[in-house]
Amino acid sequence: MAQPTTTAEEVVREGTPETGPGRQRLRRVFQVREFGILAAAIGLFVALSIARPATFFTEDNILRIAMQISLLTILATGMTFLFIAGEIDLSIGAMYGLLALTVSKMLFDWQWSPWLAMPAAIAAGAGIGFVNGFLTTRFRIPSFIVTLGMLGILRGIALVWIRTPPIGRSPQFDQVTAGRLFGEVPMQIFWMLAVVLVASFVLSRTKFGYHVYATGDNEQAARNAGINTPRVKLLCFVIVGALTGLAASILIGWVHGVSRGYGPGYELDVIAAVVIGGTNLFGGIGSVFGTFLGAAITGMITTGLVLLGAQQDSEPIAKGAVIILAVLLDVTVRRRQGL
Amino acid sequence: MEKGKAAATPVKNQTPLLEARGISKRFLHVQALDNVDFRVDPGEVVALVGDNGAGKSTLMKTLCGAYHCDAGAIFFDGQPVTIRSPHDAMALGIAVVYQDLALVNHRDVATNVFLGREPMRGPTVDKGRMVRESRQVLEKLKIKIPSVYTLVGLLSGGQRQAVAIARAVQQGGRLVFMDEPTAALGVQEQAKVLRLIEDLKAHGTAVVVVSHNLQHVFHVADRIVVMRGGRNAGERVKAEATAAEIVGLIVGAPSAMPLGAV
Repeated sequence: MAQPTTTAEEVVREGTPETGPGRQRLRRVFQVREFGILAAAIGLFVALSIARPATFFTEDNILRIAMQISLLTILATGMTFLFIAGEIDLSIGAMYGLLALTVSKMLFDWQWSPWLAMPAAIAAGAGIGFVNGFLTTRFRIPSFIVTLGMLGILRGIALVWIRTPPIGRSPQFDQVTAGRLFGEVPMQIFWMLAVVLVASFVLSRTKFGYHVYATGDNEQAARNAGINTPRVKLLCFVIVGALTGLAASILIGWVHGVSRGYGPGYELDVIAAVVIGGTNLFGGIGSVFGTFLGAAITGMITTGLVLLGAQQDSEPIAKGAVIILAVLLDVTVRRRQGL
Repeated sequence: MEKGKAAATPVKNQTPLLEARGISKRFLHVQALDNVDFRVDPGEVVALVGDNGAGKSTLMKTLCGAYHCDAGAIFFDGQPVTIRSPHDAMALGIAVVYQDLALVNHRDVATNVFLGREPMRGPTVDKGRMVRESRQVLEKLKIKIPSVYTLVGLLSGGQRQAVAIARAVQQGGRLVFMDEPTAALGVQEQAKVLRLIEDLKAHGTAVVVVSHNLQHVFHVADRIVVMRGGRNAGERVKAEATAAEIVGLIVGAPSAMPLGAV
C-alpha cells in the first residue's frame, strides 16, 4: 500500500533534526498541494497579464476580479467544510439567488433596518442549511440527492414568490457590505479575509475542525472514537447556509438587486473553486487557503475568457472541464503518494 | 454453566474488573446473545473465540457501548454501570481497538492517538501536548514509528495496529478490547502485536482479544472464553486447556460437552 519512494522520503524528512512541528507540517503541506495551486494561480495571472495588458492588468480590473473572488471565496469556504466532512450542497447557487432576492425584498420593499437585514439573511441561510443537514443525517439520504431537491425548491420559491425583483439602494447597508474601508479597501475583500481567517482557524485549530476532518476521512472510525458525526455534518451544512446568507447580503450591497433567475448554476463555480483548491470531494482532505486560491483561479478563468474574446455562454464548458481536470490531477497525485 | 465458570476461576475472591451477567441481544429474528455471562479480572488477558456469527463481536460491541443490550447487567470494579455509548465506556476506562475501522488515514499519528479526545489549550487543540504524549506512549510500548507527524495512511498494517493500540493505552484504558488484532498482518507484524499485548499486560492493563487464530490465542491469553450460537459455550484457563478441547467447544462437538452449554 505505502509506496516505498514516498515512505522513504517521509522518513528522511522526519529524520532531520526537528525544526518544530509547525514548520515541518507546513513544508509537507506546501510540497504536496497548496504550493502547486499557488504556482498555477500566479502562472494564470502572469499569462493573462501578458496576453491582455491593456484590459486585464489594470487596477480597475484587478480590483473587480478581487471583489468577485471575494464572494466566491466566502461561498466556497462553507463548501470546503462540507466537502471535508464528506458531504456536498448542490443547492448553494439557488440558495444564494433566493437569499439575495430576500435581502433586496427586506431592504427595499419592507424597509427593514440594514442592521437587521444581514443577520436575518445569515439566519435564513443557516435555517436552509439546517434542513439540508437534518434530512441528510437524520434519514441517511445522500446529500447530493437532498440538496438537488432543495435546489429545485429554492429556485421555484424564488420564481413564484418574486415577480418583480426589488432594486434600490440603502447607503448604510451598502457601506457595510460593499463600501470602502478607509476609503480604499473594498469591504468585500475585508469580509472575505475575515471569513478566510476565522474559517482557517476553526478548521485547523479547534476541536470541531479536527472532528470535521475525522468525520470525512473515516466516519466509522470517528464514530468509534466518540465523535458525534451527524452533528458535525449538520453544523457544516449550517455553516454553508450562513456564509451563503453573508455572501448574498454583500452581493445586494454591491449590485443593488439581482434578477429572479440569479443563482442556479453558480454551484459550478463554487465546486470548481473548492476542487481546484485541492479539497477532496470524498472527504478528509482540504484547506480554506487552498479554496481561496481555487476561487482566485476560477475568477481569473471567468474574466480571462471574456477578455480573450470567448462567448459568455461558453463559460460553463471551461469551468466544467476545469473541475474534471482538477479532480483528475488530485486523484493521480494522491495515488502516487500511496494515500 | 455456573459449575464450569467456578472451575475456570483461578482466584475466587478477586473483584472482577468487568463482569457481565445475563446479557441478551436480539436483532430482528436473530438472537445474537442469549443470557451470556462474561468476566475479566484486573490485568488478565482473556481470549474471546468462536465461529463466525457465534456472538463474540456482538458481545464486545455491547460491552464497549456500540450496542445496547436488551437484558442483563454490567459491573465495573464491582459497581453496576450502564454503558450507552462509546463515551460511557471510555469514561470507565474501557478502550477498543477495532479491526480496520479505527484510524483516520490522512491525519498524522499524534492526531490519531488523540482522536475524539483532543486536549485543549484555551480555544485551540493543544497539538504540542498531543505530540509529546503520543511520543511517550509509543516509547512506553516500544513502538517504532518514524515520527508522530507521519500520516497514518503511509504506515504499514502492523504500525497502524500499533497506533490503534497506543491510542487505547493513551486513553488510560484499564481494559482494552481488541477485535482480530492480528488479522491481515504479516507474520513478523503479528509477532509484534502479540508482544504488545504482553506489554500491556505487564503494565497492568486487562485485555480482551477477539480472535480466530487459536495459535495466537494460546500464545497470549490467560483464559479462553468460547462463544457458540450466542451463548457462552464454556471457558478454560489456558494452562489447563488443549487446542482440541477449544475447537470442540467452538464447533460444539460431543467430546467437549461435559462443561459446555446445552
